[in-house]
Amino acid sequence: MNKTVLSIIIGFVCIILVCTIFMQFRVVEETDITGIETAREEELQTMLSDYKTKYEEMEEKLTDTEHKIQEYQEKIDSNEQASELLEEELAQTNLLLGKTDVTGEGIIITLTNNDEKSITSSDLRYLINELKLAGAEAISINDNRILNMTEIVDVEPYILVNEDRIVSPYVVKVIGNQTYLSSALSLKNSGFIDSYTNTGKTVEMKQEKNISIKAYNGRKNLLQLRYAKEVNE
Amino acid sequence: MIIFAIIIGCIIGALIGSNIPTIPYTYSGYLAIAIIAALDSVFGAITSTLKRNFDMKIFLSGFFVNAILAIALTYLGQKLNVDIYLAAVVVFVGRMFNNLGTIRRYYVEKLASNKIIAKAEATIKQVNKEQEK
Repeated sequence: MNKTVLSIIIGFVCIILVCTIFMQFRVVEETDITGIETAREEELQTMLSDYKTKYEEMEEKLTDTEHKIQEYQEKIDSNEQASELLEEELAQTNLLLGKTDVTGEGIIITLTNNDEKSITSSDLRYLINELKLAGAEAISINDNRILNMTEIVDVEPYILVNEDRIVSPYVVKVIGNQTYLSSALSLKNSGFIDSYTNTGKTVEMKQEKNISIKAYNGRKNLLQLRYAKEVNE
Repeated sequence: MIIFAIIIGCIIGALIGSNIPTIPYTYSGYLAIAIIAALDSVFGAITSTLKRNFDMKIFLSGFFVNAILAIALTYLGQKLNVDIYLAAVVVFVGRMFNNLGTIRRYYVEKLASNKIIAKAEATIKQVNKEQEK
């Protein structure tokens, strides 16, 4: 065999070999970069099953989380209910304590000093007792709200209500059942109005549909207890 | 002449291999086995050249048939779910190391003999000089 032919054949073989080797280099190199597009079937299958498992796990987690969210929602709802109840209670307590402005039907009694007789604190206390008996829900004297701690005392020449000095005329606003209140006060002879007018004091009563009584606005510490403590059992 | 052919062939092959489109990764395993088989044939050829019994037909048939057989066996292995390509790699790489060992020994022996010849020549020259004196 002639040397030229030999060289050509060997050169050709070299071309094929080196060409394949370089192609393989590039394939391996590119595989690292493009990943999934050139991955083998088995690898893809493994990845697929991996993702399926992951998906199932995630789905479980999702349902778990949804359950939790539902529970929390329920809790929130019940909390809201509880807080609503609490708020209602608070509002009612405030209403009872006289910490809010209130309106409603009721009567207005005006006691005025006249030339002969002047009104004393005992008259007012008696009136307020009568009113409470008749089911008064809110009372104020000259816009001083009457609380359960309110004092009504004589300090000549004033009357002291909630440490506020008031003078005649004494306007007593009462909210409650109009019929009960007015009938309790205007009983013949023994009723408050009759008995007081008989002794010569000036007492007027009128019924009104809309009476508004302001909240207690006196000393704050009247509403704070310092000595009485709640008993916990 | 042959060395030039080898160098030029390698350069042209590298250029072509860097520019032609690549095959999908799925088949790159077969190609790798084919490359190992071809390299084994090349080393075998070098060894046989050194032993002076190089035959072009055997080399060419070995080069192509080994590569194709390696690919076919790998394919079969994949169908049977047996990693036959591992066996092919072991056989081919083992033979490659054998051939490389033969080549190394040839050149080491050649170097050693060259040294001995040089020494002998030097001694002969010295002897000749002394005789002239």
